[in-house]
Amino acid sequence: MNNIDTAGAHAGGVSVIRVVIVDDHAIFRSGLKADLDARVTVVGEAGTVEQAIAVIAQTRPEVVLLDVHLPGGLGGGGREVIAGSAALLSSIRFLALSVSDAAEDVVSVIRAGARGYVTKSISGTEITDAVLRVAGGDAVFSPRLAGFVLDAFGTAPADIADDELDRLSARELEVMRLIARGYSYKEVAKELFISIKTVETHVSAVLRKLQLSSRHELTKWAAERRLL
Amino acid sequence: MTTAISRPPLVRSSDRVIAGVCAGLAAHLGWPVRMVRIGMVVAALAGGAGLAFYAWLWIMVPTADENAKRNARRPASPIAPAVSAPGPLPVPADFVAAPFAAATFPAGVTYPQAPGSPGTPTAPGTPGQGSPAQGSSAWQPGPAPASGSALGTAGSPWFRFRRMPYGKEILLGAGLLLAGGILTARMLGVDVPLGTLIPAAAILGGAAIAWMQLDETRRAGLLDKTKADQAGGWARLGAGLALVVAGVLVMVSGSGSWEQTWLALLASVAVLGGVALVLLPWGLKFWRDLEAERAGRVRATERAEIAAHLHDSVLQTLALIQRRAGNEHDVVRLARAQERELRGWLYRDPGKEAGQLSERIKAAAAEVEDSLGNAVDVVSVGDTAMTERHEALVQASREAMVNASRHGGGTVSVYLEVADGGVEIFVKDRGPGFDPQSVPADRMGVRESIIGRMKRHGGTAVISSSADGTEVRLGLPSDAADNGEGKS
Repeated sequence: MNNIDTAGAHAGGVSVIRVVIVDDHAIFRSGLKADLDARVTVVGEAGTVEQAIAVIAQTRPEVVLLDVHLPGGLGGGGREVIAGSAALLSSIRFLALSVSDAAEDVVSVIRAGARGYVTKSISGTEITDAVLRVAGGDAVFSPRLAGFVLDAFGTAPADIADDELDRLSARELEVMRLIARGYSYKEVAKELFISIKTVETHVSAVLRKLQLSSRHELTKWAAERRLL
Repeated sequence: MTTAISRPPLVRSSDRVIAGVCAGLAAHLGWPVRMVRIGMVVAALAGGAGLAFYAWLWIMVPTADENAKRNARRPASPIAPAVSAPGPLPVPADFVAAPFAAATFPAGVTYPQAPGSPGTPTAPGTPGQGSPAQGSSAWQPGPAPASGSALGTAGSPWFRFRRMPYGKEILLGAGLLLAGGILTARMLGVDVPLGTLIPAAAILGGAAIAWMQLDETRRAGLLDKTKADQAGGWARLGAGLALVVAGVLVMVSGSGSWEQTWLALLASVAVLGGVALVLLPWGLKFWRDLEAERAGRVRATERAEIAAHLHDSVLQTLALIQRRAGNEHDVVRLARAQERELRGWLYRDPGKEAGQLSERIKAAAAEVEDSLGNAVDVVSVGDTAMTERHEALVQASREAMVNASRHGGGTVSVYLEVADGGVEIFVKDRGPGFDPQSVPADRMGVRESIIGRMKRHGGTAVISSSADGTEVRLGLPSDAADNGEGKS
């Protein structure tokens, strides 16, 4: 079934990304749906944790736009949706969407497996770009998430003695800093004289560290949210 | 000092010999402490009236700390001025500002000037209106304890050495003197009813010990419930109880033999045990009800506080937005301002001290956002305490934000990074850009407010501009003097 769907999406040469929107506010869902441009198509919507898990399992989208705060389930919100869809995590990518500024909300959903985080106030084109990037296997960092990362990992470059997962390399730090300053990936690439692909590689590496690192600042958030 | 019109409230002073009753009373009445103390002692000699009065005040009157804690309320919501004091705005002709403001939104608009003024149509009982008024009166006790202690120390130098550290020793000395006096009187042949005096003294002493304990647990409970040295407290309570029980027993059994005393003790323990057996379930139930009620009250207070906050901020803003729905610029501006305020309220780290650099930068960004309408997003990493040099940095970055918002015309990104080496601030916009070299010499904004200011304070300012936007980077290296200040 999955194969047929994917084939359908790719029919006609243009790949349209199939998206499920998970948010408990119907107004926000319809607004977002209207904002997304033609490169993506919304195949399902859900407003609670249970609905979301069911819709995702049924429609098998490529990307799920996932609100961090959701009613239903055990109260875990977006994190719980990702956990509930764990079996599909290899084929489905999650992009966290939030109004929350709180570091633990964002970091917890990223550590649960989301590939990126954007704020709800960004434009439809930007969200579409982010969806495409996530669908392509890359990570999406907003300036604020980059700020969280720098806060959690520290702004000093890595020592060799440290665990590789617990520190950012000098290059990764540079990339994070530029993103925190409001640079797009393209601008980061231009600034550092590297290709966009390399920027994406660095960002993905940072995302992986963010998800797997056992740094105290990160595990503390996880412990507070009973993620361990 | 007695000419003060408003009388300070009656609280127990921290400048005390026993429990601060006299000093508090003196501050309240505006009399010299010494007079009050002497009066109290004289009254105590008159059949113990002073003692009873003192004990009564001790129990009934709160300490200055307790009083301040009880009256301390949250300050008024900060959003009201932010939301209701817009900058120069294009208001449609049919929305004539003054009548609109006065007739429809007096609460929101007049709030900063006249909190809780009788003319406001919002119910006078709403917490939002009530608390600022209470808050202002609640802060009156603030200086009161200070003036009380000033009276206590400056007004009576004779008593100054009897401050807290020696209070207990002096009390002990007085007790010993009294005992000595009684013994001397006995030797001189005066018939002193020792059989009554000793148990009475024991009862008084026990009660005093237990009461002091009550006083201190109250204070400790306010400070930290878990850290209070429970063991010492219990020991003291036990000692006080034992003294009182022994005193009562001896007094009742008529200073009789040990046998009688033991019998009486047995009997009373048996009676107490029986009574406890009957009353224990009642007592437990009562205690539980009390706890539940207290918890409920805490919840209700929290709820009221949240309701008050939402009333002062979100509801006012929503109403304003409905009123100005036709003006997109206004709606966006109001929504941004309200969002910022609500975020600040919800996610502010209470452990974080105020007056830090990141807060100042955020405040500057909020100000720019309010006055120019374009969003200013601040991302900060690390933080530091403000110094004079940081003040210059804040001013310069504010100027950069104003320029970015005015000429860039879109969202402005601000990034603040505080590291060991110093502070860096980046202000970026996506406007058409300009050539920094071609800025006319008379334009003070960039040349003076940003570059010049940073140079004067030992920092740097670099402006890079292209067709994709402009970025101002401000750097302020930390130097030795700065470090020292930051650490102290």
